[in-house]
Amino acid sequence: MSSAAAFFFDVLAYSSIFVLVVMGLGIIASMMGIFNFAHGEFVLLGGYTVYVFQSSGLPVWAGMLAAPIVVGLIGLCLERIVIRRFYATPIVAMLGTYAIGLALRESVRSLLGGQFYSVTAPLVGSFALGEISVSRWRTAVILITFAVMMGCYFLLTRTRFGLRVRAALENPSLARASGISTSRVYAATFTFGAALAGLAGGLMVPIYAISADMGVPFLIKSFLAVMLGGMGGFEGAIAGAALVGAGSAALPWAIKPVVADLLVFVIAIAIVKFRPEGLLSKWRNQ
Amino acid sequence: MTVEERNRPLSASRRLFLQRASLLTGMISLGGGSYLLNPKGVWAADPIKVGVATDLTGPISWGGIPNSQVAKLVIEQINASGGLLGRPLQLILEDTATNEQLAVTKVRKLVTQDKVDVVFGGITSSMRNAIKDTIVNRGKTLYIYPQLYEGKECTPYLFCTGPTPAQQCDTFIPWLIKNGGKKFYLPSADYVWPHVLNEYAKKTIIKNGGEVIGEEYFPVDHNEYSATVNKIMSSGVNVVFNTTIPPGVAALFKQLNEAGFQKKGGRLACVYYDENALGITPAHEIEGLASCLDYFKAINDPFGNKLQADYAKLYGEKSFFTAGGGATGMYRGIKLWEAAVKEAKSVKREPVAAALDHAKISDGPGGGAEFVPGTRHVKVNMYTAVSKGGKYEIVEKSKGPVLPGECA
Repeated sequence: MSSAAAFFFDVLAYSSIFVLVVMGLGIIASMMGIFNFAHGEFVLLGGYTVYVFQSSGLPVWAGMLAAPIVVGLIGLCLERIVIRRFYATPIVAMLGTYAIGLALRESVRSLLGGQFYSVTAPLVGSFALGEISVSRWRTAVILITFAVMMGCYFLLTRTRFGLRVRAALENPSLARASGISTSRVYAATFTFGAALAGLAGGLMVPIYAISADMGVPFLIKSFLAVMLGGMGGFEGAIAGAALVGAGSAALPWAIKPVVADLLVFVIAIAIVKFRPEGLLSKWRNQ
Repeated sequence: MTVEERNRPLSASRRLFLQRASLLTGMISLGGGSYLLNPKGVWAADPIKVGVATDLTGPISWGGIPNSQVAKLVIEQINASGGLLGRPLQLILEDTATNEQLAVTKVRKLVTQDKVDVVFGGITSSMRNAIKDTIVNRGKTLYIYPQLYEGKECTPYLFCTGPTPAQQCDTFIPWLIKNGGKKFYLPSADYVWPHVLNEYAKKTIIKNGGEVIGEEYFPVDHNEYSATVNKIMSSGVNVVFNTTIPPGVAALFKQLNEAGFQKKGGRLACVYYDENALGITPAHEIEGLASCLDYFKAINDPFGNKLQADYAKLYGEKSFFTAGGGATGMYRGIKLWEAAVKEAKSVKREPVAAALDHAKISDGPGGGAEFVPGTRHVKVNMYTAVSKGGKYEIVEKSKGPVLPGECA
């Protein structure tokens, strides 16, 4: 019984971290049609912001609040200088963002001297829930993820900004004809996606450690999640992320971890084969 | 971006092409990550060329950076005290960037173009395996490998100066059984070092009356260990003998700590954990973690302290001089090679290799070291240390140098 409770908590906790990472990637991919290969490094920059706050004696939670702002601004600069030139050519966009990511990663690595450093969570330790002990910070991450998810959903479906973003995605020419500056909308969307990556990095850095390769393990599986969810919408990416995250955390309970890692991909590819429109395509069409 | 901008065809401007072509040729001719350190002062004789190929960038740079720094330090020290055979040492440093294909090109440059007299370097076993043939067989050059590793490297002209499984397990595992318990769990990263080290560790555990409850291999970038933590907590494991690697190891130790592993009397053990690794997790999460290496700062010996002070003066407080990433092996390797060159009165491969076979230094971090003749591995003192409040305390020292147990 206690082992089943631990199982559900851990699967939920890991899926939350995953959803948080994928959200920013999913928004950029689904709203703008480009895969941002520097996403893992945006996550890293979020973590690094928190690390800088901690090492200069400022509170860690303040760093977590600053992380989305800092990374959002970096994202905005990159969008204005480089990424906006890529919108017409998605393949070049992949390579270009990959190069940006590599440059960011190696810069952080040289700042860290190649080493790994821990960041102490604002909530330390665990509390007992029946027989199992539950990590306080992981619980907080689950709650924050849920709040951010709802916030994004309302922002994109219920606000004027969301309407403009969706309009610019569906039909850029018509959106421009209706007086929407698609260039600005794209910049804002990219900034928002980068800020979400920064937040994800800031929140997860106490669970892992800050190192230049922090974002790398998440990147490929995040793409898988976006593919799985379908490109058209934001909810699909979340559902894909929840599924990939849950699979990655749950399968090692039953089979060898090395095989589990592979199996996640096999299952996801099989789903994409039979549901090429994405997990939620039917629901969305109704 | 306007529609016109977006639809504009790519212009093939000759000027742009020339600019980019010249930039590219410039980059290629300079080559990435090559550094030449010429000896200071005026010397009458030609320099002896020392090649160091290590990972200054990429995921393994945590080990490569201290390796390159200690190499610079030792070579400057040797030059300051009159050089070697009256000749200065010139250091040619190549960044292998944690990339084996690139590394082969870099060491080929060292042996064919620079014609170095010896090559030091490599951190991972995959790196050593990638570059050794180019150095010792095709390049006909000596190769000295500094990092702790899984053993079984018996290539002629390849000398290993880091600890082997026998050195890291023979005294450590009995200590763990006495100060932890009999039930072991081995969470490991899925590559060659953990697999081969675990084989030796399991034999030693069973020989000393312990028991292996589980052994599990994870992808090297794995970072979610809830299933394993649950198995460990529910099966009454006493000792977690870890060979998973950073950054994922932080998540494993954190999850174990949060599940109450140490509170219930469990002992963490990890044989690459050194002073740099202490930063990976907050101190309370690895309280009581035990490690076994050839050097810890906590040994507090005059020789080590002097070396630490010299190192810190040059390189500051990032990337410490430690044993877990091969920096002590690098120090030892260069000094042993120096001793061999002095004895052979030559830098030619055959006489130096013959002298290295039994080379000996009386001082070094953690004590002296000497090659066990015929094995190309060193015997060194080994220390067991436990992490307390973010610092190591030495709890046991081997009785004299420990034999490497390789290639005998």
